[in-house]
Amino acid sequence: MHAHGIGVGLPAGFEGRIFKRQGNGIEVTNPVAQFATFALPDEVGDFGGGAVQLMGNDDIFAVLFEYSAESVGTRLFAHQGMPRELGTGDFQPQVLRRGLTGQAGTQWFFTESGRPFTFYAVIGSHARRSVLVPRVNQLLAGLTVDPVPAPAGSGAPWN
Amino acid sequence: MVALCVVLGVVVLLLAVLVAGLLRSHADILKALHDLGAGVGDPADASGHDHAAAGRDPGQVAVPLTMGPALAPDRDSTSAPAVVGVTPTGDALAVAPATSGGLTLLAFLSTGCASCAGFWEAFRRPDHLGLPPATRLVVVTKGPEREIAGEVAALAAPGLRVLMSSDGWTDYEVPGSPFFVLIDGSSGRRIGEGVANQMSQVAELVRRAEVDATAFSLDTRPGRDIGLDGPQRESANDAELLAAGILPGDPSLYPESLEDLYGPPDARMPSATRHVRRVG
Repeated sequence: MHAHGIGVGLPAGFEGRIFKRQGNGIEVTNPVAQFATFALPDEVGDFGGGAVQLMGNDDIFAVLFEYSAESVGTRLFAHQGMPRELGTGDFQPQVLRRGLTGQAGTQWFFTESGRPFTFYAVIGSHARRSVLVPRVNQLLAGLTVDPVPAPAGSGAPWN
Repeated sequence: MVALCVVLGVVVLLLAVLVAGLLRSHADILKALHDLGAGVGDPADASGHDHAAAGRDPGQVAVPLTMGPALAPDRDSTSAPAVVGVTPTGDALAVAPATSGGLTLLAFLSTGCASCAGFWEAFRRPDHLGLPPATRLVVVTKGPEREIAGEVAALAAPGLRVLMSSDGWTDYEVPGSPFFVLIDGSSGRRIGEGVANQMSQVAELVRRAEVDATAFSLDTRPGRDIGLDGPQRESANDAELLAAGILPGDPSLYPESLEDLYGPPDARMPSATRHVRRVG
């Protein structure tokens, strides 16, 4: 699946969506990619609100969230490249947007292909991280980000 | 007598010419069919094609005989692969009904079929569909290369999950529209599929399948019963506080120490305190 400059080859058992929320004319909305091993509800917060409480022990929820271009070059997004190989130690129960007993999460800020992102993932059971984290890594391996398109007029002048 | 012999000879000669013409015509037809790859034996057999090519005129164009896409080795009549495509608004969407835990109803519809119009209209009133509350409804149209996204968007009710995916039609071997497939996420299998002309027929299919699924349920996804979430959670909290007489600005909402939260140390865990005193 591919949309808004983000692509993914979903591992078996995952579903997902890549979308932009409708703007109100003032704010600028950026692409959000959400992936889960369970049925994603229609209304889910950017970081899984309304979805993570539906997780079973063997479930995974992950989001790739893009920030505005002004964030490029800031210290938070200084790390270049998406993490591709997470370890079991990267998932901690206290790294959760919504603290639910037994779950564990991880969050990374980085710049990929000139675009600022955060990757946030939740596993249903911290005790089963040795089984679940490799599945998160499978998902990460299939994620691709298209480079930022060159702004109009930045190319060679037309002669 | 001589005249009769001459006439018979002419008749025999004409019949011989006719039979020879028929044989020649039959041979031409067989040769043409053979050149198209429809000869005796497996059309996929390369040796057969090579044999045909050996006697082919340079000007002739080979026409491959396609037998259809090969099915994945893990596919069978009850498998429920993920459906991957785009929404009418251009977002990407992948639905994996085999992992959902509950029932998923895939409705394969088109924008042009007259029978589908009633379903597009019925889906505008989700409360009147007659489906079990936990059933996830996903409409699948053919992809943007076969359907106009704007027309699909115009027919789709707000909030209806619509996925445009020609691969989905192939994976589920959809013969035509409207066509419905019901998947039990707890078993990961197709438990019903077929054609329907009215929503009531679909609802009856789902109801029967739900009864069967409940009778043989192997659900291992209990979920987490943590009550309300999001805006409903905040509203419920506000209602509880109001019922307790705690209004906005109440000092108890702004604790400055642990004692503000839990009271004086002696007041904490009164039963334990009484127990210690009694023993002492």
